[in-house]
Amino acid sequence: MKKEAYFATVEDLARGGLEAIPSQMISGKHLIYSSPATLAFNSPGAEGFGVKRAGLAVPDSIMLIVAPGCCGRNTSLISSMPEYNDRFFYLMMDETDIVTGRHLKKIPKAVKEICDCCEKKPSVVMICITCVDALLGTDMERVCRKAEEKVDIPVRPCYMYALTREGRKPPMVHVRQSLYSLLEPQKKKGNVVNLLGFFSPLVDDCELYELLHQAGVKTVHEISRCRDYEEYQTMSQANFNLVLHPEARFAAEDFHDRLKIPFIELRRLYQMDKIENQYRALGQVLGVDFDQKKYKAEALEAVEQFREDCPDAVFAVGECMNGDPFELGLALVRYGFKVPEIYGTITAENFVYIRNLAKLSPNTRVFSNMEPTMLYYDPVSSGVNITIGKDAGYYHQDQPNAVWNQDRQPYGYAGVRRLFETLTATVKGEKE
Amino acid sequence: MRGLRKYLTPFAPDQSGAVSVLYELGGIIVICDAGGCTGNVCGFDEPRWFERKSAVFSAGLRDMDAILGRDDRLVDKLVDAAEKVEAGFAAIIGTPVPAVIGTDYQALKRMCEKKTELPVLTVDTDGMELYDVGERKAYVELFKGFAKEKLPVEPGRIGILGMTPQDVSDLGASDKIQEKFRAQGLTAVCYGMGDGLDEVKKASSVEKNIVVSQAALECAKYLKKTFGTPYEAGYPLADELVPDMDYAGKKVLVVHQQVIADSIRAEIRKRGEGAAVTVASWFSMDKDLLEEGDVSLRDEEDYIELAESNGFDVIFADPCMKRMTPGFDGEFVDAVHFAVSGKCR
Repeated sequence: MKKEAYFATVEDLARGGLEAIPSQMISGKHLIYSSPATLAFNSPGAEGFGVKRAGLAVPDSIMLIVAPGCCGRNTSLISSMPEYNDRFFYLMMDETDIVTGRHLKKIPKAVKEICDCCEKKPSVVMICITCVDALLGTDMERVCRKAEEKVDIPVRPCYMYALTREGRKPPMVHVRQSLYSLLEPQKKKGNVVNLLGFFSPLVDDCELYELLHQAGVKTVHEISRCRDYEEYQTMSQANFNLVLHPEARFAAEDFHDRLKIPFIELRRLYQMDKIENQYRALGQVLGVDFDQKKYKAEALEAVEQFREDCPDAVFAVGECMNGDPFELGLALVRYGFKVPEIYGTITAENFVYIRNLAKLSPNTRVFSNMEPTMLYYDPVSSGVNITIGKDAGYYHQDQPNAVWNQDRQPYGYAGVRRLFETLTATVKGEKE
Repeated sequence: MRGLRKYLTPFAPDQSGAVSVLYELGGIIVICDAGGCTGNVCGFDEPRWFERKSAVFSAGLRDMDAILGRDDRLVDKLVDAAEKVEAGFAAIIGTPVPAVIGTDYQALKRMCEKKTELPVLTVDTDGMELYDVGERKAYVELFKGFAKEKLPVEPGRIGILGMTPQDVSDLGASDKIQEKFRAQGLTAVCYGMGDGLDEVKKASSVEKNIVVSQAALECAKYLKKTFGTPYEAGYPLADELVPDMDYAGKKVLVVHQQVIADSIRAEIRKRGEGAAVTVASWFSMDKDLLEEGDVSLRDEEDYIELAESNGFDVIFADPCMKRMTPGFDGEFVDAVHFAVSGKCR
């Protein structure tokens, strides 16, 4: 037994191509190791904006989790946050419920009871169901309609089906659809845009807001900035949607089909030339030529400041952070830094970055957080002296770590600038 | 409404209890789930997970695995892990998904043992019972599987059964107990929390077992029947759970797992003559430890009614239960129970 963590270099991966990804890097081929690094990825309700927290993105909504006790257990992590206090309720299933399906009959009554006990009438009740109901084939839409009759407010299903995580519509895709399914058609306004994709706002100084204003947009909606249900409803006045996270694509398609609002998809990137190209393309669609110089210069300055403070930075980049680890790794290499290790999950979408990395940094080693041998990961010979991501920090506990997993979403040049400002602060020993 | 929770998050489920028993024993622990249950266990119900690496894995079941009953894939994955990870045994822990599809754990055990040459334990938990049920099953499986040899009894060696963070809510409890016994010239063996699989194998050599959790009573009975090892129930650190105050003549309610609650009751009686102490528990209660008036709780209403209508002067309960009885004007003593709130002392 070697007791070594498995890895492949980006050169090996690029040579093999997408069709020859080693089985160690395919989660369905092995048991999934549970490190703190795996948690958010593997458990749809566990960390960050999982299904439960995301499902409450609609202002003044509450959630009834209808599931075996084990599925709701860790919710107290979320409900201890002030903004989620008194918003989670549970209807616990037992064996008889599974056999007879009687829990479904209890749901409308339970919804009524929790609505009656709320100090303020909720705007919507989300019913969160889990793997058990996935297997039972529960028609939760129908149950929700029954519940609506009792309380006279919208009741919507929210599927926390871990079983479907690698399916066509994983839980985090589904929940985005559920959230926007409450919008009713309204008259369009040419100067209103929705940003879809995240459950918390972009950083306030993100240039995207100013660029949209340059294009004549007056109002930019994000679900997390809506103060109440009425404001949330105004999202259906948008002229178009900007999709900032690929998991919101289905929701955007729904918008298009149901509310006739088209969408444009953008990516979160850390390579500045790619950000520039992306904004240029967006400008062409909108018929404007964005002035990006100032934002780019600020981001460049932050990169140079970090280089000055930490010229010999050697990075390990993880996937538990706000970005794609391969894209960020590639950006760092292109800025002239070394990236010997990346912990990530290979997908068809990010394989392009692996190919590019292979040209610039062929020996960069890629580890899968989920592979059983990560139990034996040893950081000693890696040469890494700074890490990005919660997982990378876990593996290199003696090195400075930028967790970079904050709720406020970094994006565009502001994301790059803030990342390097954070890295500079991290090497100086300041906390994020 | 039965099963509806407005104040409390669900308590630790049986699968968390089973993992808690096996966590420190050096095995490959496979939670037979899609990922969410493992997230609950590791990210919430197993405080030791944040401190030390352990071979806890998710089976990573997907919808088609469940629909088609592809147990052979799970066996292959376990074989793969057994080739990569050094372990003394493997354990497969059930969750709601295998419960719904009716997984045959005995067949899984046989297939895995045949292919890995590792001893395999299976615990048929289903995520719908509470942690004590999972612990009970895991203890019995563990000791039946590994404590096979009848060894000579070593005087002064005391086994401590039922020590898990879920039960004692204190990660330093095993050290404290061992220290306490050492001061009396005895050696305490804390199974699963401080002491590993080798000590489980030598379970027949202890002079007696002290059972600190109701969940381990069945196992203690098994060890008594098999090796003749006597046992008694009680929590050796109960004195530190009872704050100094005048308990004489007071009406006290203690809500915890039954053995700790019962030990707190004994400690209160020692300190305050005439104290009327009622024990209540959300978890299983053994009839031998019950006193008249003790209450088994199931739903939130049961506790609210008990606390509000009996005129208690003092309530010992997990702090998360405080808000359930805003009208209670007596003394509320924080008796943290990890399986209830997910918090340690």
